[in-house]
Amino acid sequence: MRTYLIDSEKNELIVDLTKTIRHSSSLVEFEYSTLEDNKIIDTRRVFVRQLAGQYFTSTDNIRWEKMARQQLPTELLNVDRVFKLYYGFKPSGLAGGGQGELLSQMPGKVVKILVNEGDEVKKGDTLLILEAMKMENEIKSGTDGVVKSVQVQEGQVLDAGVLMMEVE
Amino acid sequence: MSRRKKILIANRGEIAARIARACGELGHTAVGIWTDNEVHARHLEYCDEWVRLPGTTNAETYLNIDNIMKVVKEYEIDAVHPGYGFLSENTLFAKRLEDEGVVFIGPHAEAIRLMGDKAVSKQIAQKAGVPVVPGTADAVKSVEEALQVGEEIGYPVLLKAVAGGGGRGMRVCEGPEDIKKQFEAVGRESLAAFGNGDLLVEKFIVNPRHIEVQILADKKGNVYHFFERECSVQRRHQKIIEEAPSPFIGDDEELRQKVCDTAVQLAKSVNYDSAGTVEFIMGEDKSFYFLEMNTRIQVEHPITEEITGIDLIACMIQSSFGEDLGIPDQEWITRTGHAIECRICAEDPITMIPAPGKVTGFETNFPQGTRFDHYLYRDLEVTADFDPMVGKLVTKGIIRSVALRKMKKALEGLLIEGLKTNIPLHKVILNDEDFVAGNYSTNFIATKRPQEKVVTDVNYTSIYRKLACIEARRMGM
Repeated sequence: MRTYLIDSEKNELIVDLTKTIRHSSSLVEFEYSTLEDNKIIDTRRVFVRQLAGQYFTSTDNIRWEKMARQQLPTELLNVDRVFKLYYGFKPSGLAGGGQGELLSQMPGKVVKILVNEGDEVKKGDTLLILEAMKMENEIKSGTDGVVKSVQVQEGQVLDAGVLMMEVE
Repeated sequence: MSRRKKILIANRGEIAARIARACGELGHTAVGIWTDNEVHARHLEYCDEWVRLPGTTNAETYLNIDNIMKVVKEYEIDAVHPGYGFLSENTLFAKRLEDEGVVFIGPHAEAIRLMGDKAVSKQIAQKAGVPVVPGTADAVKSVEEALQVGEEIGYPVLLKAVAGGGGRGMRVCEGPEDIKKQFEAVGRESLAAFGNGDLLVEKFIVNPRHIEVQILADKKGNVYHFFERECSVQRRHQKIIEEAPSPFIGDDEELRQKVCDTAVQLAKSVNYDSAGTVEFIMGEDKSFYFLEMNTRIQVEHPITEEITGIDLIACMIQSSFGEDLGIPDQEWITRTGHAIECRICAEDPITMIPAPGKVTGFETNFPQGTRFDHYLYRDLEVTADFDPMVGKLVTKGIIRSVALRKMKKALEGLLIEGLKTNIPLHKVILNDEDFVAGNYSTNFIATKRPQEKVVTDVNYTSIYRKLACIEARRMGM
């Protein structure tokens, strides 16, 4: 069983479940491997035990860690990155977008647009101001170039992942 | 005990839950509000009656005085607790309630008005003999005026909203260039957040400590302080870690007495009659200046409750009904030990930018002496509509190092899945040698940059553990 983990910046991790041993009704042992360029770069065993309705995991069947109970989640957190989980296959259309495409990273409201179509911009220039969770965030250009298109309007409320602007 | 009262909680999240529990305990009926943006509002769990507020934006719901007044009438509400944020420091709202003969659980409207206006509060402080930071008394009308004031009092200066609070609508300007660049944005942010775009300019104190004093007063003119809190660990002028007592004041009981007495003096000058907080900024030489008075219960009130044993929310409710608080005198109020609070926010631990998301798993595994005021549950969706703070983790120890030890363990035991939080950042701060030594100013995050020490490498074991749990669940275990 293969799992693809893909974060918002399209970084991907490929994790294979390579072994499952069911020791008892409340103790299972798994072996997982991470692949990079078709080579295994990491392999580890993980034990899962159920105790009083909670899951505990261990790498040596001696020291146990309590886990947060989850229904079958579709996302997984690693410190500052949330990976989307895809089981068995990798969905199409997840190849990286152009670096000049500016997508909204979080839901929010466009407070002000500071550039027009055709404007020349430098890397680091503020293109627009997005208000989310009561804070104003300056959205800056990640590249030098010309503003090819502006897809949003001031006052517009956006979901995450919406194309706001293209810089070429 | 007086008649059972019906109390409307005009707030959400953890504070609404906290207030609802206090209402229940006092034998009152708690009426909770929910909106279409939070279908599963966890605070309702502790409320006796639930009311839906129509609308999608905060302006249509939690900030809509007319609508809330309608609810007050329809449900025959005796009193309204505003919590913090939203309408907690809105003079108009307090006045409307007063006119309708409904109790506002907070100070009298005049105190909110006087203290809510930074320029007026500064004048009152000066009159009451409380030291203030140099700067403009009235709002500056233009960029030019702001630049002129900057020239007079010397840079760095702080641009801040007249009606601001909670760190929003504030920017530091190192020179004239910054003022030119920020003036418009701060004004706009203030207008959007507080309905008032007027700005003040004042001197910015280098390496300041944020010290605040908890005040509790009754309707009979008794004003008590419950010692100080230090909230110097801030990002974007918003507090993330608070502790009580202040490690900077430390054993200097004379200074502590002076700060606390000054706060009481100020509160008395406006006939303060509820729970409130007087905030000071303390320089490296331990000289302190009045910053502002928050005429509401504050986010970080639990640490004061932990070291003094008082229940501030319950007392605030009792005080507003004119009941006796059972406090004989100031000397009777004592403190023991040390308490720390870490604000748990749905945000990226490195960029500290809000990160809405869905909680896919939530468990706790805390050491003895931990308190967690929160509204987390599995499947909670944290949206961009509200503040990113999802909970407040509080630990208490007999001395500071014990509280720190417990906090480290508590952070490890706070298991939140699916949602980015600042827990990894708190862990780094708790291990920072300057923080551990109590040697930090409000510049701590900006200068020590703990966010850069957050390890973001892919943790294979952690990922395997989580995948293994999913697999085990699939297998029906």
